[in-house]
Amino acid sequence: MSQAFDLLLVGLLIACAIAVIRTKDLLGATIIFSAYSLVMCLIWLHRGAPDVAMTEAAVGAGVTTVLFLVTIGRTVRRER
Amino acid sequence: MSTLDAILNTVAALLCIVGAFFFFVGTVGVLRLPDFYSRTHAATKCDTVGAGSVLLGLALLQGFDPATLKLLLLAVLVLISSPTAGHALARAVFRGGLEPWTRPGHRTGGGVS
Amino acid sequence: MKRALTAAFLVLVSLPLLYAMSQLPQHGSATSPAYTHIAPRYLERGPEEAGAENVVTDVILNYRGFDTNGEVTVIFTSLAAVFAVLLAGREGDERSASEPRARTTPEVSPVASFVVRLLSPFVAIFAVYVVMNGHISPGGGFQGGTVFGALLILATVVLGKATAEKLQPARIRGLLQAAAPLTFIAVGVAGLIMFGDYLAFPKAAALAWVRTLWLIVIEIGIGVGGASIISAIFWQMGGDR
Repeated sequence: MSQAFDLLLVGLLIACAIAVIRTKDLLGATIIFSAYSLVMCLIWLHRGAPDVAMTEAAVGAGVTTVLFLVTIGRTVRRER
Repeated sequence: MSTLDAILNTVAALLCIVGAFFFFVGTVGVLRLPDFYSRTHAATKCDTVGAGSVLLGLALLQGFDPATLKLLLLAVLVLISSPTAGHALARAVFRGGLEPWTRPGHRTGGGVS
Repeated sequence: MKRALTAAFLVLVSLPLLYAMSQLPQHGSATSPAYTHIAPRYLERGPEEAGAENVVTDVILNYRGFDTNGEVTVIFTSLAAVFAVLLAGREGDERSASEPRARTTPEVSPVASFVVRLLSPFVAIFAVYVVMNGHISPGGGFQGGTVFGALLILATVVLGKATAEKLQPARIRGLLQAAAPLTFIAVGVAGLIMFGDYLAFPKAAALAWVRTLWLIVIEIGIGVGGASIISAIFWQMGGDR
């Protein structure tokens, strides 16, 4: 069961990573990237590393996303 | 005592199922609804009702325990923060000048795709 | 031709790397030196030796304190780099940037403002808890600092930059941003003076409280520095608009 959960999370992670690369809309890619960070956070938690999970959730899903959004606001939204 | 336990478990399971159902409906809504406002509304529903009832169900399963308090606090946090996020989103977009979608459908998918 | 050359080059580079990989102990193998010597020592003697119940904190701030010292310096340097890049491109921008601000800033929704005011104290308490409790439970300066930085960003977005900036008085803002490396260096120099080595923690069992105190001081420094740096980058990127 635990193994299946891990596999599911890793599958989600890979799907998110591919989606981030393939999305041309940078805003969408940023949001998918924050979802990627959350899945990563779950994986850390499940592997017994709550410290890293907290950092991942706060930095990866929170602050990085905000900084990306601000950057997109200052530049253009579509990838050329 | 065991009947009480059984009732509690049933109620908890029902709450969890209701929560999962609302999550499902909310997700379908986010994918299928026509414009930004209705999608925001679906996403907010799925957070408040879905997460709220799942957390309540888990708190019932847990019984009297410090963890129950944490679960209830989490539910309160979700109940406060999620509608606020939805409100702020919808308000910002409305101020930004996005017209809500209406039935005639001459402007389908007018949302921020 | 170029493609073929590139492919050949890649194969040529990857072969010795693969060979080197094959010589490494198997990933996750219980017999690799990291698990037979280092990990047991950290796990068994970490709490008494390094001063924190949480072994992760022991490793980060004590056993590998030097590493973390460099790390927080890198974070501070990244702030300097962001400032340098953003300030360089801003000179002619000043007038045009201030003009649309008056137009696009909508008054903040009372609901959002109320909820942010309601939740802010709890978020702040949580951040302080994560920082101060990092030597016992998961958490620490980086995590707590990030939570507090997120709170500052939230306050900036909803309550305005002026409110958020009150938490960082302009006079000591530079000092706050450099707090993480500064506290680390201060603790390191204190170790140099008192115990003869940079970042030396006292060894005696009677001085366990000194170890814990220093860990907490470093955690607070990292937390304050992290929060200031995150919010400063946000403000500098023009997040107030």
